[in-house]
Amino acid sequence: MRATTRTAYGFLTPYLLIFAAFWVWPIIYSFYLSFLSTRVQPWTFNPTFNWGRLIIDPAFFNAFKNTMIILVIQVPVMIALATLLAVLLNSHLLKARGIMRFAFFAPVVVGEVAYAAVFRLMFQADFGVINKLLALVGVAPISWSSNPTAAMALIITAVTWRWVGYNAIIILSGLQSIPEDVYEAATLDKVSKTRQFFFITLPLLRPIILVCVVLSVIGTMQLFAEPFLITNRGGPGGATETLGLFLYRQGFTVLNFGYASAVAYTIAAIAIVISVINFWLGRDPK
Amino acid sequence: MSGVTLSNVQKRFGAVEVIHGVDLTVDDGEFVVFVGPSGCGKSTLLRMIAGLEDISGGEISIGGTTVNDVEPADRGIAMVFQSYALYPHMTVEQNLSFGLRMNGKPRDDIARRVTKAASILQIEPLLARRPKQLSGGQRQRVAIGRAIVREPDVFLFDEPLSNLDAELRVQMRVEIARLHKELGTTMIYVTHDQTEAMTLADKIVVLRDGRVEQVGAPLDLYDDPANRFVAGFVGSPRMNFMAAKVVDTTPGSVTIETDNHGSARLTLPVRQAFQTGDAVTLGIRPEHFGGPDGDGTRLTVNVDVAEHLGATSFVYANMATGEQLIIEREQSRSEMGKTELTITIPPARAYLFDSAGDRIR
Ligand SMILES: Nc1ncnc2c1ncn2[C@@H]1O[C@H](COP(=O)(O)OP(=O)(O)O)[C@@H](O)[C@H]1O
Ligand SMILES: [Mg+2]
Repeated sequence: MRATTRTAYGFLTPYLLIFAAFWVWPIIYSFYLSFLSTRVQPWTFNPTFNWGRLIIDPAFFNAFKNTMIILVIQVPVMIALATLLAVLLNSHLLKARGIMRFAFFAPVVVGEVAYAAVFRLMFQADFGVINKLLALVGVAPISWSSNPTAAMALIITAVTWRWVGYNAIIILSGLQSIPEDVYEAATLDKVSKTRQFFFITLPLLRPIILVCVVLSVIGTMQLFAEPFLITNRGGPGGATETLGLFLYRQGFTVLNFGYASAVAYTIAAIAIVISVINFWLGRDPK
Repeated sequence: MSGVTLSNVQKRFGAVEVIHGVDLTVDDGEFVVFVGPSGCGKSTLLRMIAGLEDISGGEISIGGTTVNDVEPADRGIAMVFQSYALYPHMTVEQNLSFGLRMNGKPRDDIARRVTKAASILQIEPLLARRPKQLSGGQRQRVAIGRAIVREPDVFLFDEPLSNLDAELRVQMRVEIARLHKELGTTMIYVTHDQTEAMTLADKIVVLRDGRVEQVGAPLDLYDDPANRFVAGFVGSPRMNFMAAKVVDTTPGSVTIETDNHGSARLTLPVRQAFQTGDAVTLGIRPEHFGGPDGDGTRLTVNVDVAEHLGATSFVYANMATGEQLIIEREQSRSEMGKTELTITIPPARAYLFDSAGDRIR
């Protein structure tokens, strides 16, 4: 090894050690843990114990189902909103574009606990502003925390609010990389603005939207803070329990690390499968 | 097919006026080139004709119809952009047919137009490719093809060749000339390159700072420039300018003496009246200097650099005052390595300009 290379590795060592101890090792060790029976001491090697339970556990399937419902509704809605928002933020007609861009990006910067508290207040059944506003248009008060469907809608709304600006900024960067004269050429070709959006903007944004979809899928698969903080740990009665929350319960409430590890690996596997399907569906058609 | 008329056309971006009242007539089937230095407003003028920029004042008409408030797509024009502006996600064929498909043209009509354009431009083998998979020259052909399929009354080109290398540029220039001959359609072509202007144009419009300096056939501009700017812009290498003073006047002629170059004296026929001592500028093209035995005023200059290109040579002679002469010499191998050169200025080839830059006749 050349001396300069050695020096470089010398500087990298502290980071690599921490990376190995807190990243690589837990990943390997949890895989091993998923094959152990960890309900009682001493832990024993029993490959079918956790994995066998996982495929028949109704609680796991409840969490899986909830996560998929959120995923299937929230991700498309949010990406569509983010795309529209990006187009608006890119518009020359918009005043104070810089401030607007920051404003929509800001929710990502706000702490989860603070934002969850605000959402709980806003969606409070008796004095929350949302129900007050709904009352103005004649909608009966909705019990956001005890109606399972409403609770789910609340989670989806919250997650969308938090991440839509973030995705819009990513999509905006894609919009800005489309040269203006392509649109001018289309205008001369007598293509309306709406059609320009569907036939030029969207196809050219496809790779970047795909990245946003995959990032959002991964995020939703790990969804934890919102059901934990806003709907009271997956309430009502497990109606908003997600895989992330289920994992947390198994690992840190019941302290069943083997089962939690199996759940963690399952979440990762599902996220990978969905992402691969996304990339495959969104590939460049030849 | 149709001509284009501009009358007192103005353009302001906010408070800044960049086009100051342009009047121009482009005849049906004519190839008109807008030429001028970068930033003089060529693109802006072209984009106003296309409808991509609003008109701040004046009137533009195409084929006899005022188009100030007509949508770009309804003006009967097609434009080729400097950066090609191809749709990156579409194949060449889709690029050509996109506009037609979007406007619900019948399939066989689209196929006919695309096939015709592709054959004119010899891009049939490229139809299935994406712009990314094309060279610069091929992209430019596709961009032109996209204009052809619209079967416009007027073609607009905005510096279409400036992104190509020198060799390709010459080749595409010839192709565009051929295209004009084949289609016979009115073409307005923007360039900052006077060679392109000279070779392509039926009529050149020289622009400077948003004003028309002169309009005319290429050789008319070369032979008879209206002012110093046009004289310097048309012709390559550019015309030499020498500061001079009027030393004697008679009715119908003036005698001047150059400030540099050994105070060479020259008597030229002019109609305009002058006073002794008036400052003027003497202009002569590099190719119009005579040899040491030629007619006219004799001049001896110090050679700074000489470029020998084979048939001709370019000799650069700089004065300490910053005045530079470029002299073109033919059959000059015997003069290689000389540090001094004697040349003559034939009065018939000399131009005079007043201190405002206007031509003195
Ligand atoms: N969208 C615009 N906003 C403000 N000024 C502009 C705009 N487009 C062009 N200009 C100005 O107008 C002048 C002419 O520009 P342009 O027509 O592009 O010149 P050319 O094509 O001859 O190089 C320049 O001074 C340029 O800075
Ligand atoms: Mg330009």
